[in-house]
Amino acid sequence: MLNIQNLTVSVDDKTILKGLTLDVPAGEVHAIMGPNGAGKSTLGYTLAGRSNYEVTAGSAALNGEDLLEKDVHERAAAGLYLSFQYPLEIPGVPALTFIRTALNAQRKLRGEDEMSAPEFLKTTREVAKSLKIDMDMLKRPLNVGFSGGEKKRMEVLQMALLKPKFLILDETDSGLDIDALKVVSEGVNALRAPDRGMLVITHYQRLLDHITPDRIHILVDGRIAHSGGPELAHELEARGYDEYLGEAA
Amino acid sequence: MAFDLFDPITWPTRRDEEWKYSDLARHLRITPRELEVSTDIAAPKLVLDGFHIHNVFGADYSGLEAAVKAANGKLWLRHWARGRLDGVAGFQNTGRVDLAAGEHLILFETYEGKGNYAVHSELEFTLAEGARLERVVVMDEPETATSVRQSTIDTAPNAHYVQTVISTGSAFQRFESHVTHAGHGAQVRMDGAYLLKNKTHFDYTTRLDHQHINGVTTQAIKGLVKDQAQVVFQGRILVQKGADGTDARMRHQALILNDGARVRAKPELEIYADDVQCAHGNTIGNLDENALFFCMSRGMDEATARGLLMQAFIVPVIEAIDDDQLRAAVLEFVEAKAGGFYGV
Repeated sequence: MLNIQNLTVSVDDKTILKGLTLDVPAGEVHAIMGPNGAGKSTLGYTLAGRSNYEVTAGSAALNGEDLLEKDVHERAAAGLYLSFQYPLEIPGVPALTFIRTALNAQRKLRGEDEMSAPEFLKTTREVAKSLKIDMDMLKRPLNVGFSGGEKKRMEVLQMALLKPKFLILDETDSGLDIDALKVVSEGVNALRAPDRGMLVITHYQRLLDHITPDRIHILVDGRIAHSGGPELAHELEARGYDEYLGEAA
Repeated sequence: MAFDLFDPITWPTRRDEEWKYSDLARHLRITPRELEVSTDIAAPKLVLDGFHIHNVFGADYSGLEAAVKAANGKLWLRHWARGRLDGVAGFQNTGRVDLAAGEHLILFETYEGKGNYAVHSELEFTLAEGARLERVVVMDEPETATSVRQSTIDTAPNAHYVQTVISTGSAFQRFESHVTHAGHGAQVRMDGAYLLKNKTHFDYTTRLDHQHINGVTTQAIKGLVKDQAQVVFQGRILVQKGADGTDARMRHQALILNDGARVRAKPELEIYADDVQCAHGNTIGNLDENALFFCMSRGMDEATARGLLMQAFIVPVIEAIDDDQLRAAVLEFVEAKAGGFYGV
């Protein structure tokens, strides 16, 4: 599914990722944990194609398709979805308009028919209900004045509607209270599927109590310093990243 | 009238502070010829329920008073001008609207035309106590037009004056409002949105004179400029001595979409009273790269994402229009015009 080989990335001439190698097979959920500044968010932004993230070496492919040669929107159409740590507010664009525009843009690029307005509304209504999102909220400008929990629920709603093949969740737990974390996690868990992969980027083990990963990778100083099973999260919570920091240096 | 379109000596130039960035004399050069007004206006494409339509050919406001009476609170002034091949056709005149105490009027003003023409029009409004006037102005003139639209608005206590001006520019276009703010609960809102491309020029000048206590003013102007288009925004808020309790806020935000385009903004606050709240904000920039990336990461190509964000930038001004029909009509107009901006 997602294959990253020796990925080296600079931002403003500073090397952040230093030869990162990672494989996430279809159907699996992998977590990336690591201290501040290790390059966790850089990994997400690079895969999504943000312009000032310069790949100086290595490769990244989704289902065999080279991601790095594609433009941002082409990666999305190829099935990649990056959930933002801080989803942007888009004043003036109702959430429904935003999602439908994105969905139909992806479909068009894949050579599929656009989804009609009634069909889109019907599907959205069902998904929104399961995420406890009021339809009136979807008529408001996307994320404008939404609480942290509402913004993350909007992210999950978009995942469910855009049906990406691979999800990157960047610090999805930040800004969430316990109830919101539960709703968001349930939404994400509902998207687990044999043909879908996920990469969960997080600081804390808290999110991983709700979204249990198959593998956990510890990212330190731009490289995977250690990988293990789900039990690793609890070990980290108890002991911290110190022992890996030494290893990387 | 501030100047006479048919007398070049009176034309304002860049030496007049008020016209520094919109030099009419330099633009006009040739004196327009006063011609008979062409009245071959097409039927309106837009259907507005309950609006009384009154055509204004050139700047001929005859019959305006009767039209206001007949309108029953909703009047559509369709301005139409037509130029001629053999030189610039000129039109100049004044009109007057008086609203009695407590009277309400929604005034939809459209400005359209064809060819090479120059219009100088001046509208005078007086609002008696508690009167309410909402002007929604759509300036959809040809790129060849010279168009100077001036108005004065005299308010009274508890009166409510609102204007929302939408412009796509022309060779030389200026919309100018002078408001005398009566305070004592009177409220004024002067918004605007502009979408300019090619070699067009739009000047939005507002002058606000707070003469008495407890007057409220808000202004939100947003616009998009590309190609070699030029925008001038001059907004002055004067708070006279004794006009305490004044609350005046002005905001102008522009997006410049390429190097050749230009925006000159001159917000001015002149305050002689002590106990007032006044603020002005002015930003000129480009589209937010983070928002652009966010949209594209959801699958929109760059042109679609830019189009969406540009429209989103403008739309809040339109959404503040109170009348449902006009809001919908103006939204449709802006959506159609914004289409031309996507290919940046």
